[in-house]
Amino acid sequence: MTNDVVQDHPYLPGGLISLEHWNTPETSVHKSLRGALNDILLQLRVGISPDDQAFKSLDDLPMLKGDKLRVFAPEPDSELLAKALQDQWARLRQAGAHQRNVSFVVAPPFSGVAEALCRTQRRILTPPDNLFMTEQDAAAWWDEQLAGGDWIVPELADFWLRHQSGLNLLREFFARIALDHAGNGVVGCVSWCWQFWTQYLPELSLAPYTLAPLTGEQMTRWFDYLASERGEQQVIARMTHDGLYVLPVPEEKTRLKYSSFTQDLATLARGNRGIARAIWQRALRARPEKSEAHEGKENREKREPVDIGGRQCWVVPLDQLSLPSVPQSAGRQPGHILHALLLHNGLTTEQLHMVTGLPEQEVCLTLDKLLRAELIYRNQTSGAYEVTPLGYPAVRKNLQGRGYPVDGF
Amino acid sequence: MEGFGFKDTFSTITTDSLLEALLVVVVASFLIMLVQKLIPALAGKLGGKIRRYLLASVPLLRLLIIVLTIVTVVPILVEPSFENMVAVFGALGLALGFAFKDYANSLIAGIVTLYEMPYRPGDWIEVNGQYGEVRSIGTRAAEMVTLDDTVIVIPHSLLWNTLLANGNDGTDNLMCVAELFLDPNHDVARMQNLFRDAVFTCPLTKTYQPVLVTVSATDDAMRYRLKAYPLEPREQARFISDLTARAAAVCASEGVRMVSKRVTTPA
Repeated sequence: MTNDVVQDHPYLPGGLISLEHWNTPETSVHKSLRGALNDILLQLRVGISPDDQAFKSLDDLPMLKGDKLRVFAPEPDSELLAKALQDQWARLRQAGAHQRNVSFVVAPPFSGVAEALCRTQRRILTPPDNLFMTEQDAAAWWDEQLAGGDWIVPELADFWLRHQSGLNLLREFFARIALDHAGNGVVGCVSWCWQFWTQYLPELSLAPYTLAPLTGEQMTRWFDYLASERGEQQVIARMTHDGLYVLPVPEEKTRLKYSSFTQDLATLARGNRGIARAIWQRALRARPEKSEAHEGKENREKREPVDIGGRQCWVVPLDQLSLPSVPQSAGRQPGHILHALLLHNGLTTEQLHMVTGLPEQEVCLTLDKLLRAELIYRNQTSGAYEVTPLGYPAVRKNLQGRGYPVDGF
Repeated sequence: MEGFGFKDTFSTITTDSLLEALLVVVVASFLIMLVQKLIPALAGKLGGKIRRYLLASVPLLRLLIIVLTIVTVVPILVEPSFENMVAVFGALGLALGFAFKDYANSLIAGIVTLYEMPYRPGDWIEVNGQYGEVRSIGTRAAEMVTLDDTVIVIPHSLLWNTLLANGNDGTDNLMCVAELFLDPNHDVARMQNLFRDAVFTCPLTKTYQPVLVTVSATDDAMRYRLKAYPLEPREQARFISDLTARAAAVCASEGVRMVSKRVTTPA
């Protein structure tokens, strides 16, 4: 991390790092083996009971919903993330580590980068209605767009389609950046789109930055920061089955016993904050199960309340959350559609038909199947179908297992 | 027979020991059958590397069961002394050498395939002009399924003196080639770039593997070869068809005529 300026901002734990320094959060061999075995069993189970794919909780405890959920796991503030990102770039420039006119941030889906980039004060470039352009039209379009001062592209995946006629716009864009003919700009790009373009243009060398993956410890601090209204109010979260603490952030000489929940969550989410937050929301409960009469002495002692004040909620273990799984299918349709959705960060039915080459009726049937499995949802604003954060871990594993090119995150 | 000492060797065989040996053989056969049915069925539900590993474990497990069965059965039937073993295996060798020479040849080649691994279940091989996916590896022969769904039995003994081409060699990376012939006098570099785009935009392409478009001139056409890897080897036919269709669409939009290669039939 020689060139990187890592600032442990609460909204950007680990800071911005260069792409080659990104690593999945460390986990033990035991947990890796258990995870692999669970994946195999899950694949076999999906084959046995195909209707059993959607999310379900394996406990009967009341889930946190609505306002309560927003209190304990609120939406991250995009403006704060935008400020943190700008601050990071300023530091990188000061340190001489980043001197390009166009800055790239490549991040896995649900990282919140695109939303944050929309909050910056720069001119936002939006994609044209027609993405099928000739080389000449693409050149003329970029001439016009890049002429008006500093700009920002919140999501580069919106500017292309994986189609014979859908590549010209981005090919022209990358050529201009390589020649430094694009002015001053910032580009956000989802990791799947980036992976395709680095394989399509192997000489592409833009030194992008990415968000550092969250470790278990950083995840604890991030959840605590979000829930405690930036540190103003104490929040307590404890495991329902053994009473061990998840929040608040452990102090140095604490007498509280802490759970490994956030470490396991960091591994499951591969350090991705958006996915971790979605699973965290599903794991929160209003109260633990009332079975204390049957509990052993040890567990009672663990659950003995320690008066540290603050709001309290409970967390179910990850193995009690049955996350959505990819339905088994003899055909390639689900794989093609899910892969296309991730490459483009969401597509409409018509676009899916063009990108995958599947007939529209077949696309609709497969979309319905994936919607019922809670792997995708329809974005009401754009009308595009997108992969759900809860379904993403299963989708990525499935695509990787079936030979699809997957992102590096 | 007395001269070879067989009378003494088999003097311990009783009805009980025969029944016991038979029971062991039946149990072993049942286990082998179970392994051959259950593991491929399990592999069919899984994808990627696990599928290949499971399929490859079938012949190994079968060999293990056969060896264990022999090790268990022989001491039940004959007293395992040095003389007895020499007599039994000597007789067995004689029988195999004369009566079942070709069969033994295939059996030994079958064992060789398990450690040399010239082909494994899931490999796409070509032997004597026949191309297909290895479905299973038996004790004497391997079974291959062609792209037209025909099962071909290949005796392992072919391994000794036949050229064998393996397309994916135990991996799931199988290069496919879509070949087309175009009318000459067109912009070759542009067509190469457009064909490359066609390969990259095909959803069945493994874009992390090399994609190549080569061109050469033949007597009456320009010969283009689009080389890439499909997501899974068993999708090669669909992949080549898709690439050809995409390349044909490119030719149509560019106004470059495709030509069929003339097939000459002997008079």
